[in-house]
Amino acid sequence: MNKTAIAVLIFLGASYTAIAADDPKQRQDLTAVIALQGKPCGEVVSYVAKADNDFVASCKDGNRSRVYVKDGRVVVEKQ
Amino acid sequence: MTTLRLIPACGTLAFSVLLGACAVVSPPAPPAPPAAAAAAAAAAPVTQPPKEVMPSAAPAKAGPPSAKAPAPAAPPKAPVALAKPPAAASKPPPAIAAAPAAPPIDLKSLEVKLKESKAIGLMTKLSLKNQVDDLVAQFKAFHDGRRPPTLPELRQPYELLLMKVLSLVQDQDPGLAKALHDSRDYIWSVLSDRDKFLKNV
Repeated sequence: MNKTAIAVLIFLGASYTAIAADDPKQRQDLTAVIALQGKPCGEVVSYVAKADNDFVASCKDGNRSRVYVKDGRVVVEKQ
Repeated sequence: MTTLRLIPACGTLAFSVLLGACAVVSPPAPPAPPAAAAAAAAAAPVTQPPKEVMPSAAPAKAGPPSAKAPAPAAPPKAPVALAKPPAAASKPPPAIAAAPAAPPIDLKSLEVKLKESKAIGLMTKLSLKNQVDDLVAQFKAFHDGRRPPTLPELRQPYELLLMKVLSLVQDQDPGLAKALHDSRDYIWSVLSDRDKFLKNV
């Protein structure tokens, strides 16, 4: 019983994370940030949130970039 | 009387087109020369100035049609008929002049509008702010007398940044995009002039 409850909770948590990571507004935001920095991307197709204001974005052209905020500045690092 | 009523109706439409149209319409009117002649005679002192205007306008566009007109009574009517269109034509200029009256947006309001705009995401706003700060720092260095960044050299990054912001905003916040576009020269004048720069930034 307990194992089932835990499994359901994990599933719900995973689902929530998946939805959060597919927010189109966030994808658009990341696309704009990467373009503003002049890095190649085209369009962000998916991303993973590592922490607050720290993302790894996967681009349509196959590039992956880490986008994060450090000392009030947005940094885009190609990975 | 009937001709006088018909002609103002024509005059409300595009004046240049109707100038020719009214000139063509007036020749068929000869059946009523006595009344028109009497009216023209009564209003002769008032309509004298328009008559001076008409001869120059009528031959320009309606020259060939008037040559075809068989009735000699047509010339007196044409001045009366076209006496009103100039008055109507004087109305459009004020409407056109009133349109570009919007004042350019100042830097503070622009900053507020950009912050409040929902067309740009949070990280994009922060990234834009970084780039604006970098550009303002370059202008500050220029006004302090340092000279790798000359004014022509600063114009290019300024235009580039403005285009970036415009491209971000134009689809979802066209009002802000227009305000930004209209203020392009004003913002440049503030950034490039030392006194204005120190006063505003």
